[in-house]
Amino acid sequence: MQFWYFLTALTLLSALMVVLSKNPIHSVLYLVFTFFCISGHYVLLNAQFLMAVNIIVYAGAIMVLFLFVIMMLDLRRNMPDSKSNLTKLAGAILGGTLLVILVAVMRKTQFPQFSQMGGKFDTQTGMVENLGQVLFRDYLLPFELVSILFFVAMVGAVMLGKREAGERNF
Amino acid sequence: MNSIIALSLFGIANLFLGFLNNRKILLPATLAFVLVALGLNLADWNQEYLWFNNMLRTNNLSVNFASVILVATFLVVAVSRGFGDDEEHTHPAEYYAIMLFSVVGAIMMVTFENLIMLFVGLEILSVSMYILTGTDKRNLRSNEAALKYFLMGAFATGILLFGIALIYGATGSFNIHGIEALVLTAAGGSAPALLYIGIVMVIIGLLFKVSAAPFHFWTPDVYEGAPAIFTAFMSTVVKTAGFAALFRLLGGAFTGVYGTWIYILYFLTMLTLIIGNITAVYQQSFKRMLAYSSISHAGYLMLTATAKVAHTQSSILFYSLAYSVATISAFAVLMVVAETKESNAEKTNENFDIFNGLAKNNPLLAFVLTVSMLSLAGIPLTAGFWGKFFIFSDAFQRGIVVPLVVAVLMSAVGIYYYFKAIISAYFKEGDVPAIELKPIYKITLIVTTLLTIVLGIAPDLVKSIF
Amino acid sequence: MQQMQQIPDVIKLIPLNFYVLFSSALFCIGIVGVLTRRNAIIIFMSVELMLNAVNLLLAAFSSYRADPSGQIFVFFIMAVAAAEVAVGLAIIVMIYRNIQTIDVGILNKLKW
Repeated sequence: MQFWYFLTALTLLSALMVVLSKNPIHSVLYLVFTFFCISGHYVLLNAQFLMAVNIIVYAGAIMVLFLFVIMMLDLRRNMPDSKSNLTKLAGAILGGTLLVILVAVMRKTQFPQFSQMGGKFDTQTGMVENLGQVLFRDYLLPFELVSILFFVAMVGAVMLGKREAGERNF
Repeated sequence: MNSIIALSLFGIANLFLGFLNNRKILLPATLAFVLVALGLNLADWNQEYLWFNNMLRTNNLSVNFASVILVATFLVVAVSRGFGDDEEHTHPAEYYAIMLFSVVGAIMMVTFENLIMLFVGLEILSVSMYILTGTDKRNLRSNEAALKYFLMGAFATGILLFGIALIYGATGSFNIHGIEALVLTAAGGSAPALLYIGIVMVIIGLLFKVSAAPFHFWTPDVYEGAPAIFTAFMSTVVKTAGFAALFRLLGGAFTGVYGTWIYILYFLTMLTLIIGNITAVYQQSFKRMLAYSSISHAGYLMLTATAKVAHTQSSILFYSLAYSVATISAFAVLMVVAETKESNAEKTNENFDIFNGLAKNNPLLAFVLTVSMLSLAGIPLTAGFWGKFFIFSDAFQRGIVVPLVVAVLMSAVGIYYYFKAIISAYFKEGDVPAIELKPIYKITLIVTTLLTIVLGIAPDLVKSIF
Repeated sequence: MQQMQQIPDVIKLIPLNFYVLFSSALFCIGIVGVLTRRNAIIIFMSVELMLNAVNLLLAAFSSYRADPSGQIFVFFIMAVAAAEVAVGLAIIVMIYRNIQTIDVGILNKLKW
């Protein structure tokens, strides 16, 4: 069980580093590391399929896209953050307050322990076979409609990303 | 349901029509597509269906909401004029396709039965809107509006999702009827805090999307920066869909724990009304004023959406219809006038003073503008009056006095800034050359104006259907 | 394979509460990132962090309840996030082409 605490601490620490580090490339790398830690948690939760998808989609595709854009825009010569210290402090206080509220409220909640769950636990929940059957039987319609979203994103990304001739105006 | 499938296919068809290199064909084709979708949508009337293992529910309520959305889409497409003749910088096939796809998302938000459908629909609508906001690529305002909208929208989605996850944790279900049944058990069970925080977060996420205060700060910038035609689309379709979703959640899934959210929402309603109306008074830009006015209309709609009684749905529907029609005609007038000024080599600013002297050479446009402003202000003999009347009488029957008093006071404030546009059109000196209107544009303006007046004289024509 | 048939130790020993607190902390780190940073890409990464907190929470609830629909939802969130990233990065690239920066504070043609 020490392992759980170790992994959790590592996740939170690298998540903090994403927010705190000055260089965007370091942020991306910390974020990739956070995603690997979260994948570790998925393994502990017996959700192997999510672990694989998380690494392939998030750490593999999405973060590479981020890195690619950062390299393309050449953000290494990093400009100083223009936000004033006051707004930073206000943001940090707001987030901290939210955390305190959430922790204070949820600390009290009691979930049934494993021993009280009456043995209805199913180890196969997170396996590909089981998930596939649920996805293509119960959730077929949203699965199909997500393709509309991809269509929109594809058309939009091509349209916005294309270089446009002509004068800029305000 | 069939309208969702049809619209998805029509959107793809629209993309292919873009290959024809004939910009003229796109506008009539899109109008026909929207009409077919409207027909398919009305075919579900008086039938109650659950589709695909409880993913979608079509009933009269959803048909009505989807019809309002499709009518608004039709009007927006009709005043889009095929996005002009600038072949290099506009891509009408893509714009129309994305608009049709976004309507798919809007209809999903109206008919959803499972929170997954709500989420996917909301995302289809939002992602389309981010793209459409940024379509004026060389304009920095449009760029900035797209970025701001995108970052704020993604942030709001995160909050909404955290709420959904907590509700799932508390009730163990994504189905809104399942949640409705389990919500009381969960509230009395071992983890009520999870449920309450989840509900509040889902509500905050949706209020972000319908731009209610204090989550409205992105609205004026985005509405001002986006091209006017897409602002018209955004302020009507997105708002109607968002309120439909909010109404279905508040009136259905979350009814059991009415007490936890109702006072928060009353407070936010008053805040929205006050901020929207008071800030609108100080605006110089007509487009920005319409943005604040859309915030204030969100406040009026929230006043009704918080009711857990079923009959208020007709008030929401009537109000959405009246608001959409009036807003679209106001934006239509703004677009042609701003465009004429621009081609006269003046710097266009979309301020109130571009309407100066509009009535002299363009009596029709001035009249359309006047009727839409009167309707938005809620003056009798327009649809907007009855919209406000139904909402206020609903609120009165429920006995919520304080928000009602605030709403009535603020609608009086609203009259001031809506009249500013009318005054500059009729009584200020200025020079707007006579504007040549295309037939379809003229017809649309006449139709929206007539609709506003007819609904203002005989509201029961539509109200009895809803 | 043998391992997968067993009930994992985590579920036997770690209360579900811990996961709720853990995801809340991760979520709040994301919120702080959105509110305090000005670089659009880092703001966007903080949003991804928030989404991952949600994913973890859903996966935990789903595993403890042995109900696969929570994991399906995670699946949808990942798909939607991928689409959102494509559009968001296209917007960021478009802006960078015009003004050579992605600092949100410099974009102030429209006042806040």
